[in-house]
Amino acid sequence: MRCITSRGRRPLVSDAATITQPRWRSGARAPAAKIMQAGLSVVGASLLVWAMMPLAPGDPVNMILAARRIEEPTLEQIAALRAQLGTDLPLWQQYLVWLRGVLTGDFGFSWRTGQPVMAEIAARLPATLRLVGTGLAISVVWSLALALVAARWVGRWPDRLVLAYTRMMAALPSFVLALLVMQFVVVGMGLGRVLSGGAGITLVIAAMVIGIDRAAGWTQLLRAGLLAQMAQGHADVARARGASEGRILTRHALPGAALPFLTAVGISIGGLIGGSPVIEVIFTWPGLGEHVLMALSVRDVPVIQAFVLLAVLAYVGASLLIDLAALWLDPRLRGQGAQT
Amino acid sequence: MIRLTAGGAWPRTGTAAPDGLLAALWQHRQGRAGLLLMLALVLLAVLGPALLPHDPNLPNYAKTLAAPSAEHWLGTDATGRDQLARLADGAHRSLGGAALVMALVFGVGLVVGVVAAVAGGLLDIVLMRIVDVMMALPGLIFAFAVLGLLGPGYLNLLFALAVADWAYYARLARATALDAAARPHVEAARMMGRAPWQVLIAHILPAVAWQLAVLATLGMGGMIAAISAFSFLGLGVQVPHAEWGAMLADSRFYFTIAPWLLIAPAALIFAAVLASNQLGEALRDITTPEGRS
Repeated sequence: MRCITSRGRRPLVSDAATITQPRWRSGARAPAAKIMQAGLSVVGASLLVWAMMPLAPGDPVNMILAARRIEEPTLEQIAALRAQLGTDLPLWQQYLVWLRGVLTGDFGFSWRTGQPVMAEIAARLPATLRLVGTGLAISVVWSLALALVAARWVGRWPDRLVLAYTRMMAALPSFVLALLVMQFVVVGMGLGRVLSGGAGITLVIAAMVIGIDRAAGWTQLLRAGLLAQMAQGHADVARARGASEGRILTRHALPGAALPFLTAVGISIGGLIGGSPVIEVIFTWPGLGEHVLMALSVRDVPVIQAFVLLAVLAYVGASLLIDLAALWLDPRLRGQGAQT
Repeated sequence: MIRLTAGGAWPRTGTAAPDGLLAALWQHRQGRAGLLLMLALVLLAVLGPALLPHDPNLPNYAKTLAAPSAEHWLGTDATGRDQLARLADGAHRSLGGAALVMALVFGVGLVVGVVAAVAGGLLDIVLMRIVDVMMALPGLIFAFAVLGLLGPGYLNLLFALAVADWAYYARLARATALDAAARPHVEAARMMGRAPWQVLIAHILPAVAWQLAVLATLGMGGMIAAISAFSFLGLGVQVPHAEWGAMLADSRFYFTIAPWLLIAPAALIFAAVLASNQLGEALRDITTPEGRS
């Protein structure tokens, strides 16, 4: 609530500092504290992710045998599995053993296939990263263009059009958009391929779906940020010196509005990775999606653990980078350690 | 996630202080649209199953993939089930499920947040650190983890989504409760000798509930989308039960011969998310009439 300034009042310097901060990050601290915080998040997440194993209902041995469709296991098979899992150890030792493995990239064996989890993920991860990365780039460019157009002609028809468009897109879940594109563009118009096999045209189409879906919220956020910046004193000064509105927008308002926008982009990394399986399945993209879905449907816990932890690492890492970049770019944030 | 990205706050002309919630929503252009749309969908969910003549789960192999007609207004699916009946039946699970999850996180968030604010001290610290860890993880990923733990299924899905979402509500509830407790009229009530529980019930809980209701309405659209997306993937509602996302999954293989099977559920998901978003944004505007900039 601190960030709400009454309109019409010329913002003071302290107000300007609060405006540039997104509401969910009003407590900026020094870099070291940021890194500490990120580390703590990762440790907390690793505990939660590890806890999936002992928390999973049912005996893991039974679940492994069920996942591998072994109906009547021999006693030797059961004993070998128990030894492999180390379920006889006390919990804290199990955690440490697991953590040591994870730190060396060893997530154990897939319950379903019996293969090393990491090898299976490493084979599919590049395709997912390519898709998500391309989607992210398209989304940033698209929302930047739309927000600049809307802010340049605020209140007039280009702005109204952009707002109506973003509202429609915000109401269209990405998988519904993906299905419509698949049926009308790929099948209907014959663009691209129904079964992708990793083809470049599918990458473009699927990444555009991801990009267009994400851009809706970001456009609204960036537009609001640009308008807030345009109402500030420094924009008036530039105006008084004869700068054109377009120049004020790109040279004066955009740098100030960029930080909250970048923070939103960084925060969305987790959602992008979490949302990619459904897009991948629709476009038959050979990434992690299908693999993770199979794991979810038979409760293949080690695979899910690896996927969740990777997504958390990507998310925490991206947030940390953005936070550090914010501290570097905006010196005002450094002095506000006390405000949380 | 909607909460983090939908920063769609723009300056607007101030709304007059609302006499009643419905009146204020009605005067708000987006609010009226959202209200009407949501009302239509709720009517479909509540009255549809009673009024529509066809059984949503009864196959009719003589009439598979029939085009929309006088008997089957929205056609039939691959096993000859009436699509309109299935859409009405599925509305319970798509809309009702989302409402259930929102009610759950509303309740949990309210209790945890207010308890933390009122109790303070160690309990407050412990609860808020748990909230911190929950909020440090992306919600969708958390839902994946819980669902992976419990296995696919509709109730498991609702539980997973609630577990992934409650922390935001607890955080807001605590902040609102602390804010409300420091306001002059609450201070005055305390000085007049009202008992703490009277102050809590009369002044603090209403403020918290109101704030959480706005947040829940804003989050409802994302929840509807999540339920249908997980069901589309086969991780939520299981066959033979109807759900909009699951119906989309069934329709994929018949699109070229039966496009109505894709278009109708997609349109309903779109309408439901749109209605929730419009209602949520209208509520937010009404509660902060000065307009956020």
